[in-house]
Formats: sequence, C-alpha cells, structure tokens
Amino acid sequence: MFRKFTLALTALSLVTAAGTALAHHSFAMFDPAKVVTLQGKVKEFRWVNPHVSLFVDVAGGAGQSGVWAVELTSPGNLTRLGWSRQSLKPGDRVAVEVNPLRDGQHGGGFRKATLLDNGTVLQANLINIEKAAAGGH
Amino acid sequence: MRRACAALLLIAAAPVIAQPADPVVPPPTAADWAALAKLPDWSGTWSPDVRDQVAQVTTNPVPWKPEVQKQVDVLTREEQEGRPRGLLVNCLPHGMPSLMLITHNAHEFLFTPGRVTLLGESDGNRLRRIWTDGRAMPADPDPSFHGYSIGHWEGDTLVVETRGILPQVYLAIGEAVGIPTGGDTVIRERLHLIDPDTMADDLVITAPHVLTRPWETRRLYHRTRKRSFEIVEGVCRQGDFEPSSDKWGNPVYIPTRQQDGNVLPPADPPATNP
Repeated sequence: MFRKFTLALTALSLVTAAGTALAHHSFAMFDPAKVVTLQGKVKEFRWVNPHVSLFVDVAGGAGQSGVWAVELTSPGNLTRLGWSRQSLKPGDRVAVEVNPLRDGQHGGGFRKATLLDNGTVLQANLINIEKAAAGGH
Repeated sequence: MRRACAALLLIAAAPVIAQPADPVVPPPTAADWAALAKLPDWSGTWSPDVRDQVAQVTTNPVPWKPEVQKQVDVLTREEQEGRPRGLLVNCLPHGMPSLMLITHNAHEFLFTPGRVTLLGESDGNRLRRIWTDGRAMPADPDPSFHGYSIGHWEGDTLVVETRGILPQVYLAIGEAVGIPTGGDTVIRERLHLIDPDTMADDLVITAPHVLTRPWETRRLYHRTRKRSFEIVEGVCRQGDFEPSSDKWGNPVYIPTRQQDGNVLPPADPPATNP
C-alpha cells in the first residue's frame, strides 16, 4: 500500500523552482531561496480549505525548536496528487522541507515531507496536476 | 380627518412608478431537455493551466493605462520582495474576469435548459450563471462579483457577454497583483474545445477605467474524469479557524492565528476557548 502510494507520488512529482502554487494567497511571504528541513513529529494536520496546514513539533536544531506551521495547497488539489486526509497523522515522525517565512517566524511553505518510519515521500506540486490533467483521462 | 383626506389626495396624485417587466420563464419541455444532448460534452473536471496563465501574461501583457501600470509595478515589486498584497485573502469571490484568468482551482459545467452554470471549486460563491434562453442583457443589472452573463451557442462554441460587474472587482494577473476595474467592464468570451480534453476561453476584456484598449487573452483548462479530480467542497474561510470545543465539550471552530492569510504556530499562551 505504502509502496504503491510512494511510487504513484514519485511518478507524479517534479520539484520545480516555481514551488507550490496555491489558491488563496501568494506564496511570496515564504523565501524560495531558503530551504529548511524540520525534523519532528506531526502535531496536527488540518485538511481544510483554502490551504491544508501541517503543524510540526520540532525538538531541536538551532533556532528551530517549537511548533512550525506549514502551508500546502487545497484538499482538492492534494487529492489529485494522491494525498488524503490520512496522509499524515499526529505523532508521525517526519522530515519536512519548507521555504521559511521571511520574517523569521516558525512558518513555511511546504516543499516535501518524508515519513521517517517508512520512507514515504509526499510532494505537492500543482504542476503535476496539470500534467496529469493534460495527459487526458 | 381633513388631513387624512389631503394625504389620500396626495397619494392619488403621485405619479405611478412603472414596474419593470418580470417575464416568467416557462417550464422546460421534453424537447428542451433532449436538445441538451446536441451540445458539446463538457462533463468532467476542468483544471486551469496555471503555467499557461503566467505565459499568457508574459507574452501578451495587459494594456494597462500608464498611471495604472505604476500601481501594477508597485504590487509586482511588493510580491517579488516577499510582501504580497493578497487580493483574495478576505475570501470574497474572484469576480470576473479574474475567476477565469487566475484561478488555481478546477471548474465544472452544468447544462440545463436555458442556462449554463459554471461552478468553481473554492466556495459556493465561485459561480457563474450564463443564461442561454435568448434573453437580452438587462439595461442596468445589479452589480455583482461575476456579473450578469448571457450566452448563445455558435456551433460548439459558447459565446458569452458579461456586464454588471462591481467596480471593486479586480482585473488580476496573479493572487497578489490586480487592480479594481472601476466598473463599466464588458467581457466577451468564446468557450470551446481545441482538442478533446482541452478547453480554451478566448476573452476580450473591455475595462475603460484601467485599460487603454480591450485586452484579448486566452486561458486553457484541461479535463479529467478521474474521481480524484472531482470538485469537493471548498469553504474559503474555514482556514481562518481551528477546531476546538466549547464549555460543554461540543466541537466548535475558534479563530486561528494567522498573518496575511497564512497560518502561524499557536500563540504563547494558546488561544482560549469561547
């Protein structure tokens, strides 16, 4: 199951410099030139519009400890990329790559998450929805 | 009594206010329903081509008036420098033409006799009713976000004219770059398939307060029929709240901590329940 899920996501995924496009607000408050990897446990995964948000409790790291709020695209778009509201659960050990907020607060724009216990990689690039859609049915 | 009589006389003498005609839409016939089968098949879910949205603006720039271009430049610079002025963070609808120009969410079309309905994904208010029953454009439609749209079919092309758009509605080229049209906007569209699963919306946008000439531009939408692409509920303001419980333990929403539309980690001390 997980392997299939990972393969499907890998097939769909393509990291681009454009990052994850969103539907409600621009992503410009996040710094695309910086990538921070947050290692910790999922505190909350809010599967809501217009943006799904992921709260990660980060234990250590220079200036990183505490809860981080990570924003993703909408549930509809994530569903099209193979996600579900069960993709991440409280307590999951994760490494999450984000573009951090420019003002230094503990928030970021989602790039990639790896579930550390099974290696599942989750990505969320809208460009892959277009590719899947442009590929027909 | 005398005063009452005088009042009655005044009322009687007042000019009669003409009531606008209120035509009754006849119930659809079996033939009306059968005629829908002759229309092109626009079922499925239509996802916008966001890369092409960007490409269109780059290769075919909006003919902003010079003084408006300066405002656009400010907004563009603000976004580039990481201070986006989110046009949609208040969760009001995109409005027209921005719904067609910059949405990142899917659309679907419903055909019923005398009408095409476009449903957007984000909120029930991303919605266009396009009347195809032969009615004329009202002389002065009440302004709304998506305007009043009448359409007709030319072969497999839906030809639409939209007026009556609120002056506050943006002509947007991105989620943080757009200018209110100021009213008097007229949008003419030709929606048609350019291959079995690609729809083109060819727009001519006339916005005399902000443009030097009508702007002709195209937007593309790709169709899928996969269930994972079906449109789901998307309540824009849901993200402004977080789940909590009231004093009786009922699940409720309380405002969440955010800044310019994006969520932040919980405050210290955490928010209290209502």
